[in-house]
Order: sequence, then C-alpha cells, then structure tokens
Amino acid sequence: VKYVDEFRDADLGRAVSGEILSLVEPGRHYKVMEVCGGHTHSIYKYGVDDLLPSNVELVHGPGCPVCVIPMGRVDDGIALAHNDGVIFTCFGDMMRVPGAQGTLLEAKAAGADVRMVYSPLDALRIAKENPDREVVFYAIGFETTAPSTALTLKRARAEGVANFSCMSNHVTIVPPLRALLESPDLRLDGFIGPGHVSTIVGARPFEFIPADYGKPVVISGFEPLDILQSVAMVLRQLTEGRCMVENQYTRVVPYEGNLRALEVMAEVFELRPHFEWRGLGFISHSGLRLSEAYADLDAERRFSVPGVRVADPKACQCGEVLKGVIKPWECKVFGTACTPERPIGTCMVSSEGACAAYYNYGRFARDREVV
Amino acid sequence: VSDPAREACGADHCITCNDDGIPMTVLRLDAGAGLAECADAEGAHSAVEIALVDPLCEGDRVLVHAGVAIASLEGEDA
Repeated sequence: VKYVDEFRDADLGRAVSGEILSLVEPGRHYKVMEVCGGHTHSIYKYGVDDLLPSNVELVHGPGCPVCVIPMGRVDDGIALAHNDGVIFTCFGDMMRVPGAQGTLLEAKAAGADVRMVYSPLDALRIAKENPDREVVFYAIGFETTAPSTALTLKRARAEGVANFSCMSNHVTIVPPLRALLESPDLRLDGFIGPGHVSTIVGARPFEFIPADYGKPVVISGFEPLDILQSVAMVLRQLTEGRCMVENQYTRVVPYEGNLRALEVMAEVFELRPHFEWRGLGFISHSGLRLSEAYADLDAERRFSVPGVRVADPKACQCGEVLKGVIKPWECKVFGTACTPERPIGTCMVSSEGACAAYYNYGRFARDREVV
Repeated sequence: VSDPAREACGADHCITCNDDGIPMTVLRLDAGAGLAECADAEGAHSAVEIALVDPLCEGDRVLVHAGVAIASLEGEDA
C-alpha cells in the first residue's frame, strides 16, 4: 500500500473489520488502549470505532502532550511571558490550556507578547529578528517533538543566538505507561502503540509491556486502516496466545528508532527526577530538562519562575479520562461547564484530547449495535 | 467567537504539538545550513531541519514533525 487513499479505502476497511469480527470471542469484552492522542483523533474523525464489534472497546491513553501539562506549569509559562522584554513562543493549542492564572491567550490579551509558532525553528528565527528582546520557547511534546527542540537549541548555540532560551516541558512515554499498568483500577487487554514516538525511540522501549505485564503491543500508523489493522493484530495475538511488540507502521518506524535523534536528545536533555502529569500525579523520570551543557539556554534558570504546584480543578475528571477509567461523556462537566470554547480540563483543549475529540465529532454513542 | 490559536492551528487538528507527521517533498537542499525547503500536499513551503534523515536528494519525500524531518518516506510501499 503506497498512497493515502488506500489507507482510507472503504472496501479494505470492511475486510479488516470482518477479520476483527472473526477474531473476537463472543461474550468476552476486549479493552485496547490507544496510547497516542493522534490515534484518538483519527478514531473519532473517521469513525473507526463504528467498524468494531461492540465487545471491542478502545480506551484513550495519556498520549496528548497538551492534555498532560499540569496547571502549575501553565502558570509558570504565564509568569515568564509577563517578564519585561520577553517574547514568549509556543504551539497553538498550548495557548488555550487553563492554569490557575488563566491561559496564555488571556496573558496575551493582558499585554504579554505571546506568539504562536509551528516549530522551535520559528521561535529561533524570531529571536534572530529581535536581538534586543529575550525569546523564550515553551517546549511541549513526547519523544517525537523533543528532537526538534534539541536540534534548535544546538543551532542556537552554534549560531551564537544569546537571546534565545527554552522552558522544557518535554515528557517521555514509557514511565506513564508503566504507571498506568500499575494502576489497580485499569483492566486492559492490549495496546495500540504510538507511531511517531516510535519513529524516534523505536519499538524496543515497549518490550517491557509484554515481558512484565503480559499485554500485546502493536505500533500503529495514523490512517483509519492502519488503526483497524493494528486492532486486528492485537486481537490475533490474544487469540493465538502470543504476546509481543509488533510493528504495523513499518513504512516509517524502524525497530531501533532514529539513533541520531536519540543522540541529540541525550546531549541536550537529561531526565528530571520527577515530573507532574495532569491527572496522573508525579511520575519518576518522566520529564526532560536541559542538560548541564545547555544550562545557559534554560529559561527556568535564566528567569525566575514561581514553580507553585496547583491542584487540578475538583470538577474536572481528566485524570480518570487519561487513565481510561471513565469515558469523556461520563465526566460531570463534559459538554456543560467544560467545552472546547471554555475548557476546564486540558482533555477538552487540544483536538487530540479525548474529550475534545468526542465533543467535536459527536462520537458519544453509549451503546453500539451488539454483534 | 474568534479564537486565533484555534484558527491558526486548524479547526479540527493541531498540526504541530502532537504526534503528527506531515508528508513533504524536498524542493531545495541547503546542506551547509542543515535545512531543506520542502512543500506539503497543498503546496505550502517551509524550511525543514534534515539532520535526522540526511543525506537527502531534491525530490525525496520526508515525514515532517514540528519543523524536523523525522523519517524518509522513500520505499514507503510497506
């Protein structure tokens, strides 16, 4: 298969859907977690779950980097943005994430120079164009995005751009998965592994899931047929009593990952002892900060940030949604007090967030047709 | 209600901050700077870091995330 159209071909989709139907045992309920927010988005955009039998349930995982940023880190960003002379840059969805002190968009309305960028390289360009201003890049993202930040920091160093710095909120995917697997209220049969994270880290880091927890993992692409095929591969492992990491997305994901990306990340970043995740709490060795070698480009060292921890809003159940314990529509404020226009929780902010995906595509049918 | 961030990001998808990959074609290489000018399916051009997938040729297809080519799409007929 070479072209996008083939990954959205209805006949092929129905064929894989039929294969899935042949693999499930009647009376058994299957819960498969898609780790990545990009998958959540595709599933609801294309209605992938409508092609699944009613006893195959897709559970949305913690793989949206916007959704997992805790309120205190948003407040730190807002405080940084209000420093005199600072141009604060970040990706678009981050501007709408509420902290205790409002959002970055509100900070912009209040006079802070907050600018949306499409890449860290754009932020560096702004720094070069404004040598008399301090430009801060607020970095978020999993291992897919961290190499982009790392390469830009290396470029800033090489080009001697002294007015550029970075506040790193980069996170890693394995520690929260391990935390989820240790969670007593979670029952999962298998995982759809993240496609583009795996382009960087490879498939090997996920081997602990079958080895230590006995659950199959299939790394998946993002087209509807990719996801359907990956569900079929998870079910086939379960049916055949196998348990391993399989790679559905071989056209992009090498098993060993991208060694150059891993090298540049190891040079520029180091693991934080702890990092707080919205809804999941503090998780050891799950966040990246700038290494000692790049300390001079670390915005958290260049400026003072409050660093105050803020508890998640009481009404918000993002934590349970991120753990897959409840469905988005089961949250008390879903679609009423919490909407994409006025989000309370981060799952409603990003289009990759499980709540926004449900809200925007109206995909909250409680019961599908029983097969 | 107008929402600049949402409009700029696209109403249904944030293209940069998540695990997104945009297939692009290399138009012009600037090997000295480690950059390539690339075009997406709609013809929009942007400068892309190529350090992770170097060496590339003009006309090659790459998967781009947040301004960085993270994989080559040559031989993608998996």
